[in-house]
Amino acid sequence: MTDLSVSVSSNAHLASQQVLPEAPAKVTVRNLNFYYGEHHALKNINLTLGTNRVTAFIGPSGCGKSTLLRIFNRMYDLYPGQRVTGQLMLDQTNILDPKLDLNLLRARVGMVFQKPTPFPMTIYENIAFGIRLYEKISKSEMDDRVEKALRGGALWNEVKDKLNASGLSLSGGQQQRLCIARTVAVRPEVILFDEPCSALDPISTAKVEELIQELSENYTIAIVTHNMQQAARVSDKTAFMYLGELIEFDDTSKIFTSPTDRRTQDYITGRFG
Amino acid sequence: MAVESNVIDAAGPYDRAKALSAFKLGDLTFYWITRLSAISVLLILGGIILSLIVGAFPAIKEYGFAFLWTQRWAPSADPPVLGALGPMYGTLVTSFIAMLIAIPVGLGIAIFLTELCPQWLRRPIGMAVELLAGIPSIIYGMWGFFVLGPFLANTFQPFMIKIFDGVPVLGAIFAGPPSYLSLFNAALILAIMVLPFITSISVDVFKTVPPVLKEAAYGVGCTTWEVVRSVVIPYTRVGIIGGVMLALGRALGETMAVTFIIGNSFRISSSIFAPGTTISAAIASEFAESDGLHQSGLILLGLLLFVLTFFVLAAARLMLLRLEKKAGK
Repeated sequence: MTDLSVSVSSNAHLASQQVLPEAPAKVTVRNLNFYYGEHHALKNINLTLGTNRVTAFIGPSGCGKSTLLRIFNRMYDLYPGQRVTGQLMLDQTNILDPKLDLNLLRARVGMVFQKPTPFPMTIYENIAFGIRLYEKISKSEMDDRVEKALRGGALWNEVKDKLNASGLSLSGGQQQRLCIARTVAVRPEVILFDEPCSALDPISTAKVEELIQELSENYTIAIVTHNMQQAARVSDKTAFMYLGELIEFDDTSKIFTSPTDRRTQDYITGRFG
Repeated sequence: MAVESNVIDAAGPYDRAKALSAFKLGDLTFYWITRLSAISVLLILGGIILSLIVGAFPAIKEYGFAFLWTQRWAPSADPPVLGALGPMYGTLVTSFIAMLIAIPVGLGIAIFLTELCPQWLRRPIGMAVELLAGIPSIIYGMWGFFVLGPFLANTFQPFMIKIFDGVPVLGAIFAGPPSYLSLFNAALILAIMVLPFITSISVDVFKTVPPVLKEAAYGVGCTTWEVVRSVVIPYTRVGIIGGVMLALGRALGETMAVTFIIGNSFRISSSIFAPGTTISAAIASEFAESDGLHQSGLILLGLLLFVLTFFVLAAARLMLLRLEKKAGK
């Protein structure tokens, strides 16, 4: 019964949400397959991430959502025995090109993880660190950039008096916003969120969701989430994945009100997963 | 439910309190065994310090603080003249050079093993490092005496002497003639001996860095070097410094290998290619045929080594504390 009421309430929310016009493609995925050794983890994925749109990936655990996200910035490259076939374009850049400069790619495609991952340094340095990798700027410019990034992460007011405290001294929600600020600071084009709120309390979650909405004005965003209402609240498009396949990919309002596939409907109404 | 309670009743009179009191006795025994083990450490340490002080007392009375800055070591003079400056200098210099070599190499091996090494090469290198730790120090001594010493004296030493000839300060540090037995040779052997400590402890602590933290660093566009320098090493610095301290403690006190190749000369020379001695080497080479004041002087040297090690480790602790403060913890 509760499941039903959940889907009803999110539908009510969706009714008020306008459907944005189709955006030009930022990331294009064509016939993508992914293998963990022998295991065929992603099967023939086709989709596009619209520029400055939020795309949510939902589906039961182990369906390949996070795996797909980790292909977008080639994070899987860190581990041996994982390989990918198909086509994956970021604008005109072939992400899967073996000769691609991964550090530049990852500066263009930022990532926020499930658990907050502040670096073992001060709050200021956590932000400045990423900027310094690519830009030589003066101290005062850096101060500006750090402030701007922390404001972008909706964290400035809470930390402006303790920029020299360790990033680890912040609360979990603050740490996660610090990580978002850090990602924004290097001015990426795409930001990947891998279950960014699963370790956060409801208030921090609300703040992060609000932040994602604001960020979508300037960034192309992909978010993996287990929280259906969250997908409904923050995203423009939703992709439902199941057992390594992309089952349905459409406007969020459509997915949550009138899904075409039986499995999508079962999942969003909580019948499995 | 009723059935179950019947079953328990049927098991007969079962005295819970008695069973618990048996546990209590076991607990108490356990508590006292662990406590006595801990106290025994203090007793042993205190006993060693006390017996060192007692043994060194005649020398302390005879030489006083002048022992610390006297370079002359003439046990057969009448009365014997003994000074610890030479051995103290040798101990500090050899350990310093050893750490200078072993820390970067050890960390380099650890970084390679954990971050860069292809899987199939990991075990052979890891095992080789562990085997290095298993070689007895007497073997290192013999190898240093017969192989490394001549090799260095014929190749590396003349090369360095020639390069720095005439350069101020450095010219004096790398002054000739080349020698099979020298402070530098001893330091190099020490570096090889302490390398496994630094490497294996660093590998262990590097493995504790959460993968997601490294991914996050790669995620903002770091290269492997930047990830190691800015995330892995700061995250693990307490562990690394612990490993370095262990290595330093070993280098300060290492006896057998050093005695073989350092030359046992009490004269302090500015050149690291000249023979010298360390505290432990001096004790090892002279203790057997010493008596009276000479023997007491050697025991006093041992006490000094104790104090020296203590201060070096305390300084390292202090440095660690300051590092933590600076990191904003």
